[in-house]
Amino acid sequence: MTTPLITAQGLTKQFVSYKKNPGVMGSFTSFFKRNPVIKDAVKDFSFSVAKGEIVGLLGPNGAGKTTLMKMFTGIIVPSDGELKILGSNPWERDKNFRKRIALVMGQKSQLWWDIPAMDSFLLLQKYYEVSDKNFEARIEKMSELLGVKDLLHIHVRKLSLGERMKMELMASLLHNPEVIFLDEPTIGLDLVAQENIRKFILEYHRENECCIIITSHYMQDVQALCDRLVLIFDGKKGYDGPLSRFEDILGNEKNVTFNFSSPQEPESEFWHSLNGEWSKNNTQVDLRIPEEKLRESSAHIITTFPVEDFATDKLPIERVMKELMNNPKLLREQQSSETL
Amino acid sequence: MTTGDAIKNNFSKWWITIQISWVKHTAYRLNFFLQIIGPALVFFFVKYNLWSAIYGADDSLVIKGFNFEGMINYHIWAFVVGLVAQGHGSWNLAEDIRLGRISSYLIYPFNFWEFHTASWLSFQTIQMFIAAITLGVIAFFDLLQFPGWNFFLIGVAYTLFISLFWFALQYLTGVMAFWLEETWILRVMLSVVSYFLSGAIIPLDLYPDWLVNILNYTPFPYLVYYPIKIFSGETSSLGLGLIIISIWTVVIALINHLVWKKGIKLYTAAGM
Amino acid sequence: MMEKVGHYWDVYKKFVSTSVSVETSFRTSFILLIFMDLFFFFSSVGSVSFIYDHVANIGPWQKDQLLFFLTFMLMIDNLHMMIFSQSFWEFSFNIKSGQLDYVILKPMNTIFSVFFRHFRASSLFNTPLFLGFLIHYGIKVNLSLFDWLMMPLFLILSLVLLILIEFILSTSMFWLTDGIGINFLRMQMQQLARWPNFIYQGFIRKVLTVLLPVLLIGSGPVHFLLDKNQWQLLATMVLVIFVLVIILNWIWKVGLRNYDSASS
Repeated sequence: MTTPLITAQGLTKQFVSYKKNPGVMGSFTSFFKRNPVIKDAVKDFSFSVAKGEIVGLLGPNGAGKTTLMKMFTGIIVPSDGELKILGSNPWERDKNFRKRIALVMGQKSQLWWDIPAMDSFLLLQKYYEVSDKNFEARIEKMSELLGVKDLLHIHVRKLSLGERMKMELMASLLHNPEVIFLDEPTIGLDLVAQENIRKFILEYHRENECCIIITSHYMQDVQALCDRLVLIFDGKKGYDGPLSRFEDILGNEKNVTFNFSSPQEPESEFWHSLNGEWSKNNTQVDLRIPEEKLRESSAHIITTFPVEDFATDKLPIERVMKELMNNPKLLREQQSSETL
Repeated sequence: MTTGDAIKNNFSKWWITIQISWVKHTAYRLNFFLQIIGPALVFFFVKYNLWSAIYGADDSLVIKGFNFEGMINYHIWAFVVGLVAQGHGSWNLAEDIRLGRISSYLIYPFNFWEFHTASWLSFQTIQMFIAAITLGVIAFFDLLQFPGWNFFLIGVAYTLFISLFWFALQYLTGVMAFWLEETWILRVMLSVVSYFLSGAIIPLDLYPDWLVNILNYTPFPYLVYYPIKIFSGETSSLGLGLIIISIWTVVIALINHLVWKKGIKLYTAAGM
Repeated sequence: MMEKVGHYWDVYKKFVSTSVSVETSFRTSFILLIFMDLFFFFSSVGSVSFIYDHVANIGPWQKDQLLFFLTFMLMIDNLHMMIFSQSFWEFSFNIKSGQLDYVILKPMNTIFSVFFRHFRASSLFNTPLFLGFLIHYGIKVNLSLFDWLMMPLFLILSLVLLILIEFILSTSMFWLTDGIGINFLRMQMQQLARWPNFIYQGFIRKVLTVLLPVLLIGSGPVHFLLDKNQWQLLATMVLVIFVLVIILNWIWKVGLRNYDSASS
C-alpha cells in the first residue's frame, strides 16, 4: 500500500472578523471599540488522497472549500490539526514543496495583466527553473490542446474570460507539478469554455502522473472529472466516497420539469401531494420522481395535463445538498448501509 | 412635485452622501491618520526642529523680521491652513473613473459632481474639527500668537474659500483619469509645486525678490502665505487675494466642466 | 551558492524587463513621473538654498555641506524609487485583494518576490542629473580620492538600511486589513531622514537614531565623509544593519504565518 500523497487529520481553521453597526454613530463607536466575531471556516476535516486520484471538493458558497485549498497550498496556517502533503507541512512552505504543487483560482488571476501571456510564462519559467527544452515542449503541447496558440502574444487584459482561464491553466502546469489544486476553475465561463477546460484537464491527467483536487459548485465539473467526491457543509465534511454512491443517496430520484400551455393549480389534491417547485405564473413545475416511477408518472401527467414540454435531469447538486443539509440522517443512513 | 419638495429632496441626497462619506473616511482609523494628518504633523515637526537648530545657535537672530517665536507661529498657521485648504485629494474621484464606476452615476438621480462635492464637504468638516482641536491644544499651551477674533474669523472664511479653489484644482487632476492611468502623479506634482511656491515650506519673505515678484501673479502665494498673514494680523492683500482666487476658481471650474463633457463622451462611446 | 545567485539574477532580469515593458506602454505617466521627480528635487534644493541666503550655518554645517548631505539623500531617494518604491504599493494592494497568495506560492524567497518585483525605469532618466549634483557638491566639500571611492559603497549601505527599516514596517500589513497607511508612514520616515541628525534634539534624536534608525541613513556616511573623526555613527549604522536583518527574517516569517488571505 503506497503512502497517500495528501493526509489531513482534524484540520481546523478559525477566522476573526469585526462587527460594525451601520451609520455614522456605528462608525464612531467602532472607531473606539470593536466587536470580534469568530467563524469556524473549517472544522475537524480529515481525508487522504493517493497518487493519481482526481478528487472533487463540493459545497455551497462559504462552505470552506477555498480555505481548505489555501491550507493545502500553505498560504494560510491551520488553527488546529495535522496536514502532510508530499511529505511536508504545507505551511512551512519549503521551496521544494512549492516547486511540486500548483494552484489555480478561478476568481483570481495569477497572470500579469499588462503583458502578453507569453511574457508571464517566461517569467514563471525562470521562477520554477524549467529547462528551455521542457518549457518549449510544454507550451507547444498545451497551447495546441487548448487552441490558444495565436493568443500567446496578446496582452492578458485583452483576452476573454475563457481564454484567460486557459492561459491560467497553462501557467500553472509549466513546471509539471505533482499535485494540482483547482479552485473553481470553470466559474463564470460559458458552457463551451467549461467543456474545453474539462477535456483539457482529463487529457493532461491521462498523460501526466499527477493528483488533482478540484473544488466547484458545478455538478458537471465533478461528473466529468472526478472518481471521488468530498462534500463540505459549514466547514465540516459531509460525504467522502465514490461519485456513483453519492448519486444513490437520494434514492435515485430524477428531477423532471414540465412546462404547461396554461397556468395550473398547485393547490389541487394531485399537485399538492407531489410537492413540486412551481414557477411564478404556475406554468412550470420541477418535480422529484423516483427512477422506478418515472415512466408511469410522466405518462400520467402528459396525458392528463396540457404539457407543452418536459425534460428530465439528474438532481442538481444544490438540491441534493439542500436536502442533505435539511436531512443529515440521509447521509448517516447511507454510510451505515455501506458498513453493513 | 413642488420646487420646495425638489429642493428638500436634493438636500437630503447631499446630506446622506455627507454622512456616508464620514463613515468611509473614518472606516480605517490608522489609515486616516497616516494619510491625512500624519504627513502634515511630521512636516511641522521637521520644520520646528530645523528652526530650533538655526535660532538655537544665536539667540538674537532675526531673519526678515522673524524671530524664533514668529517663525514657529508662521509654521503653526501653515499647518492649520494646510489642513483645511489643501487636505483633500481626489483619488476617490479618479478611481471611480478608472474602475468604470461612473456608469452608476450616469443612472443615479444624483450627479457625479454632486456626489464628489458632497464627499468633499464631509471631508472638510472633519478637517475643520481636527484643525479646531489642534488650535485649541496649541493655544492651551500658550504657544499661539492669537491675532484677535476679527482677524481670526476673516482668516477662517478666507481659508475655506481657498479650499474651494483647491478642490476645483484637485477635481481637475481627478477627471484626467479619463485619459491617464495614474493620476496620482499629477496630484503629487501639484502638491510639490504648490508647497514650494505658496510659502508652505519656508516663508516667502526668505525667497529672492525677483521670484516673489513673479509669484504674486500666480495663485500660489494666496494659498498659504497670505492667509497666514491674515492670521498674523495683516489683511492688506485680502482684497487682491479674493479676486485672484475667485478668477482662478471660476476658470478651473469651467475647465472641469469641459473636460468632464469630453471625457464622458469618450467613456460612453467606448461603452465601457 | 553561485548557482543560487545566478538564479535570482536571472529572475530579476525578467522582473526588470516586464516592468519596463509595462511602464513604457503608459507614455504620459512615464514622462510625468520624470517631471515629478525633478520638481521635488529642485524644490528641496531650492528651499535649503534660500535659507542659506539668510544664515551662514545650520548646526555645524555651511551651505555646501548641507547641500552635499541633501543631494546624497536625494540620490538614495532616486535609487529607492527606481528599485523598490512601486513594490511597496503593490504589496498593500496584493494583501488586500488576496493576490499575494500567488506571490507566496512561488518557489523563491518571498521578500525577493514581493519587494524586488517592480522596477521604475522612469527614475533612471533623472539619475545622471541627480548624480551630477551630488558630484558637484562633493567637489565643493573637497572630498578626497578615498572618499570618492567609498561613495558608491556608502550609497548602497544607506539604501540597504532604508529598505530594511521599510521591509520591517511593511510586515505590519499582514495584520492590518488595509495597509495603505503604512506606505504613508514610510514616506514620513523618508522625510525625517532627509535632514541631518543634529537638527533633532535629545530624546527624539536618540529614538530616531537607535529605535527607528532613520537618521543613520544619511547622517552616518555623510558625517564620516566630511570629518573622518566622526566614524561612530557609521559604525552604529553597520551594526544596526546586521541586527535589522535578523529581526526582518524573524518578523517576516511570523507575518506570513498570520496571513489570513482575503477570501475569494
